[in-house]
Amino acid sequence: MSQPTLDKEIAPKRQRMLDMILALGGLKEESAIPLNKVAEELANLKTELAPFTDAILAFPDSYYDKFLEAVNKSKMVSEIHDRGILKESISNIESALSKTESESLQELNSLLSESLARMTKSEESRETSVETDMGSMISTISSLVSEIASAVDELEKSAEMEAESARAELVTLLETLNAAKANASAEPEVALEEIQKLGTKTRYGPGLRAAAQVKRGKRDGRIDDERFQTLVPENMLTEAYRGVIMFILAKMGSKTVVQIGNLMETSPQAVQNALLTMIQRGEVEMVGLEGDAPVFSKVLTELPNSTLVLKRIVQQVRGMVKSLEGDIAGTANQSLNKLQTLLERLQILGLYDEATLSEPINNLRETVDQATEAVLAFQTSDDSENLRLLISAGLEAFARFRLKITLEKGPNLVSGTNVYGEKLDPEVYQTMMDTYLENELERGTILVLIRELGALTALDLAERTSIPQDRILRHLLRMKRDELLTIAGEEHGYVLYDVPRTLSDAEMAIMTVSNIVLQLSEARVELNRILDELKATDIGNLTNSLEVFSKARDKLASVRVNGVVVDEATLVDVEDEIRSAVLLAYRTRTRIPSTRQKITLADLADVDVPSVLDEYRALMGYAPLLGFGTIEWDQSKCLGCKSCEISCPENAIELKQRVEIPKFFEISDDALSLLPSSKSLFYRTVKQLAAVKPSKDIILDHEVPGFGSVEVDLWLCVACRTCVRRCPGPESGALELELKWNLPEVVKHITSTS
Amino acid sequence: MDDKKSAVLVCTCGKQLQLDYDFLDTQVKSLNLTSSATVHDSVCQDDGLEKISELLKASDGHLVIAACTNQKIQPRIDQYLASKGVDSSQIQYTNIREHSAWVHNDMTEASKKSLDMIRGTLARSAKSSKRTLEQKEIATHVTVIGGGIAGIESALSLSNLGYDVSLLEISEELGGHVKSLPVVAPTGKSGKEILSGRLEALQNDKNIVTMMKTKVKFITGEMGDFTVHYSSEDDMEKTLQTSAVVLATGYKEFKPISMEEYLYGKNPDVLTQFELSNMLSEGDLVRPSDGKPVNNVVMVQCVGSRDENYKKDCSKLCCTFAIDNSLEILKRNPDAQVTIVYMDIRVPFENEMIYKESREKGVDYIRGRVSMTWKQDGNTRVRIYDSLLDKYFETPVDLLVLSSAILPPDGTSELSETLGYALEDDGHVKELYGKLRRNETRRRGVVAVGGVTRPQFVFEAVTDAQAGTLIIHNELQGGKIETTSRGAVLDVEECVGCSLCAQQCPRGVPLMIEQTETEEADEEQKIVFKAAIDTLNCHACGVCQSLCPSGATQLNFLSNDQLWDQIAASLEDAGPDYPITLCFYCEECSVSTIDIVGTRKMEYPASTRLIPVPCAGRVSIIDILKAFEHGASTVMIASCETDRCHIGGTGNEIAQVQVDVARDILNAIGWDGNRVDMFRMFSAEPDRFTNAVNEMVKRANNLGPTPVHKGTAGKWMEVTE
Repeated sequence: MSQPTLDKEIAPKRQRMLDMILALGGLKEESAIPLNKVAEELANLKTELAPFTDAILAFPDSYYDKFLEAVNKSKMVSEIHDRGILKESISNIESALSKTESESLQELNSLLSESLARMTKSEESRETSVETDMGSMISTISSLVSEIASAVDELEKSAEMEAESARAELVTLLETLNAAKANASAEPEVALEEIQKLGTKTRYGPGLRAAAQVKRGKRDGRIDDERFQTLVPENMLTEAYRGVIMFILAKMGSKTVVQIGNLMETSPQAVQNALLTMIQRGEVEMVGLEGDAPVFSKVLTELPNSTLVLKRIVQQVRGMVKSLEGDIAGTANQSLNKLQTLLERLQILGLYDEATLSEPINNLRETVDQATEAVLAFQTSDDSENLRLLISAGLEAFARFRLKITLEKGPNLVSGTNVYGEKLDPEVYQTMMDTYLENELERGTILVLIRELGALTALDLAERTSIPQDRILRHLLRMKRDELLTIAGEEHGYVLYDVPRTLSDAEMAIMTVSNIVLQLSEARVELNRILDELKATDIGNLTNSLEVFSKARDKLASVRVNGVVVDEATLVDVEDEIRSAVLLAYRTRTRIPSTRQKITLADLADVDVPSVLDEYRALMGYAPLLGFGTIEWDQSKCLGCKSCEISCPENAIELKQRVEIPKFFEISDDALSLLPSSKSLFYRTVKQLAAVKPSKDIILDHEVPGFGSVEVDLWLCVACRTCVRRCPGPESGALELELKWNLPEVVKHITSTS
Repeated sequence: MDDKKSAVLVCTCGKQLQLDYDFLDTQVKSLNLTSSATVHDSVCQDDGLEKISELLKASDGHLVIAACTNQKIQPRIDQYLASKGVDSSQIQYTNIREHSAWVHNDMTEASKKSLDMIRGTLARSAKSSKRTLEQKEIATHVTVIGGGIAGIESALSLSNLGYDVSLLEISEELGGHVKSLPVVAPTGKSGKEILSGRLEALQNDKNIVTMMKTKVKFITGEMGDFTVHYSSEDDMEKTLQTSAVVLATGYKEFKPISMEEYLYGKNPDVLTQFELSNMLSEGDLVRPSDGKPVNNVVMVQCVGSRDENYKKDCSKLCCTFAIDNSLEILKRNPDAQVTIVYMDIRVPFENEMIYKESREKGVDYIRGRVSMTWKQDGNTRVRIYDSLLDKYFETPVDLLVLSSAILPPDGTSELSETLGYALEDDGHVKELYGKLRRNETRRRGVVAVGGVTRPQFVFEAVTDAQAGTLIIHNELQGGKIETTSRGAVLDVEECVGCSLCAQQCPRGVPLMIEQTETEEADEEQKIVFKAAIDTLNCHACGVCQSLCPSGATQLNFLSNDQLWDQIAASLEDAGPDYPITLCFYCEECSVSTIDIVGTRKMEYPASTRLIPVPCAGRVSIIDILKAFEHGASTVMIASCETDRCHIGGTGNEIAQVQVDVARDILNAIGWDGNRVDMFRMFSAEPDRFTNAVNEMVKRANNLGPTPVHKGTAGKWMEVTE
């Protein structure tokens, strides 16, 4: 009865599931492939790869040469204004250079570095002589606004076209919906099937879940027929509507209720009903008005940066307008109105291609910033960095206008009264304003720094300013909530915050290329190393590094400088070569026993798992995982005989030294009569003697044959059912295995339906 | 089964017992289960025996004898009845002398107790069944594992008794350690001389098959039908059917590689004592490192023995072996200087003589330890600490001989997994009972002889082997076992296959047999087992019965119903006014202890009722609860001392866990767990019983009426917490 000693560390269950799939496959094939064939396969691979590898390894250099040429020709570097991007690209290229040599990269790097140096220098030497020609600035703004407007027109047109193409799909959706509607009362089960089908097409999660729940409830008998009769035509059908509405909003843009109703050939009331819940669920929001009718849109997880930037510009201009007088004020007001409409239109558009907007919006932002500065007529005579920072911060703060308004309104509150007739204590006002001013200035400083230096973390900011880090973090969070900042990733465990930026083509190109440069340089080193001495264990790495080349090539093919793909010929040529090499590597990988995928689903379905149990054990040292399940233990049927523990191949089940004596008193007479005679006599005698009903379990301090409670460690259980089969308890025994996931069954199912 | 009336024979022990016999006579006659009552003055004498024979015939074998202890009277009665051809298997005894009349001064109380016990015994008798003579034939083949002196001696003895023997030896040569001993004290002969006669006999013996280079892997089955799985020279696994197994695997000498102070394994001139024996019996006494003659020898005793890190106790043989080898060295080279560094010299038996001889011949004894060994100028040097002088000496040695510990041989523990014998903490095979059943192991049909049980001298191993052989012969009875079976009988229909009996049987008798045919027919793919119990193999302790959830296995002389009826009948008068302590006592240590209490007339309260069981392990938790159900105030179990369970080593421990869980349950259901307890008896200390009984009677009085007496038992539904 001794148990085999287990390895101290048992692989997690999922790992074992994979092991099992591999080994089961392996059991069938292992003998077919002798290990000495591995060397042969590797040698073959090396010869076959040879014609491709040279081209693959060479293509980056060729691309870099051409890229440098294009950069020089287009003077692209001068178009890069974002110092953060420059810095990142430089560091990428530098670390790539530390791995591989390339003159073109070297040159590109120096170009970028020069540009960065120039920028930093000009920054320093720039006299903040503020442009005060308001008129020209306002006209620039209005011309930029029309530029943006025409871009938005284009965007709307293309959205319209997309919507048109979605219309055909909508028709089929509506057919299914109508079929479901027709069946809903008469044949609810058929209707539910239709609704589920619709759900898979619209991919509306809540609807799909609800349908599945109803179906399960019906099957398990939790939902009776009558209820089912009402649920399907009412709730389920509404869910189906919601799916279609979601489809319309996602594919055809924002719509009013009436528009949706027309598209769906349904009454607006029905749409309205369905929509209400969707708003509550946070799936749909109102983004504007069309006439008096509200326009609804799908809630986006993230707004496009251009929308965010425009939102900020609108706020800024709104503040600016108030400080202007005369004609200028009128023109500015017009621009403001136009901008507000544009913002609404962008919000209705939801997601769109930002590239066309980035240029004018960036220009607009700069101009508006300058104008704001001019409006506030801030003069700086001291060019010490700190003061400049403080002034910029002040500018920033005023630009957001809250401060300005507060400063204007505040004294009124002290001198006069508010609408409720209350007066503000000057001292309270003083402290309030001090804190407020301080906060706003600090936030301004942070924004200025981030805008100029690129994304920064709370730690970076704390180092650069004298503000304590916790305060910085609070400001950052506040500004994130106000959509003044976005999260740009992380660095050393700190979150990187950035202002919403739109990248220009040039910036985008340099960023993509510099990233790829780094990846490629690493992959080249790796590939050279592997090919130098091709080993079976490296086959996985070989496929990985070839994949890096393949993906890099694809990305480079999408990078355009002045609208042209650089070195297109080479990229096209090398495409086939990379693909062939990847395929060759994969093919060899499948042939080498140590790494090949050992089994196909079809194979697995044919494996009779119990019959290979012993073989598997011998191979792996533990029993195969046959699925995931839970084991229910019924104390009233348990004889405490430990047979389960003894028979368990994995030591997963154990008779614990705990007697659940309160349960003795809950065993029914029927259950007692099923038990073996002495066991039931024991329970009866205990009940007969008891003066009180026990409330606590008895914890035994050593094993007592016949007593205890069964516990299963589901992390060890392989769902082999041995314990269930061995249990000598009455009827089907004290143990029941509920298989939640049965590996062989699942495999059979997959293979039969695919 | 219907209750049968029994005749009752009450003995006055020659009118010596202070009991009210008129009261007993009238009361017993009035009992329902009594067919007749006879008061007799001397049941153990001829006319008494005749009376028994007569009563047995009249009452169809159902007879209750209330007399002195059955330990004394039963053998005499059985013998007499056997000679008359009368079946005595159903006679029930109750002891009204040692357990009642002799220990209680108050005659009324003693008579009342005696009556209760007679009433109980009548109830037990009412459902007794006749046990018949059973026979079985088994192969007269015995397997001896190990071809050392003990194995060889066992094989020869078994062959002499008419058994066929397979002698399995793992090495290439018979003789074990003994063949390498240059001289065996106190005979003065060499090991080879001692073996030679036996090896010759072995060769001429046609009943003995010797198999060399054979390793036993595992053994299945039970006495009369063991299957030995072994691998032979060609590494193929083979099997061998056998009826019994003699384990004579000898011992293993400790190799002190890990003890750095001796440089063993690094310096070739450092040897173990047995390696020196080998060297001496092969002839050359030279330094292994360079072949130079040996003049200086230092021997270190207790290397690994009496050492907390290795073997905790004394290895017994090493002192004698060291002296033997010193004398042999001096015989070869009279000028040699032999120094024995010792902790205590322990030479048992006549070996004291050679110790004296060695002293006379100039062997130097230093009480102390060797603290360091090192090489210097090609010589080995040691530093010796003399604890009597409290001084360190340094001396060059030609040989440093380590008397290292004697350990159980490799594989002893592995084999125990299938062969089912118990092991001592030090890894040697545990004897069934140190005083009376030394050669038996826990597993029936398996005996362990020689060094595998404990370090043994050559002549001890020989005696041990002979004794083990007789045990086997006693069990196998020459292949035709014939006895009135007394043991567990299994009702296969009732067996649910839980394997509790097989898990817990002290002697490994029940076997679990997989019911493949039932399994094939079963829709739920159940794995179905049924127990199989060979009653003739059983030691009749009743552990299986007390654990069986279905009552499938029951002792054929004490069924569940018999015991439960006896409990009920004995406690008929129990109540709050007369708190009774019920005592189950085992018929091994406990009965002896209680009888001695009786013969010494050590008084204890008469509010006690005694019920005999074959082993404390027979008392199940249900039996304990039944006693309370019928009104007992306290219940005690008297068992053998820890590790001294006569019946198989663990019956008393099974009883202990049942008592422990009963205490927990009583505490949980509103009783007091102190109402039940178990006490270990020891016949040399009769106080143990009187102390225990007094304690339980005291508890009965202190704890007062039980819920059964108060009528609150079973009313748990009315109690709200």
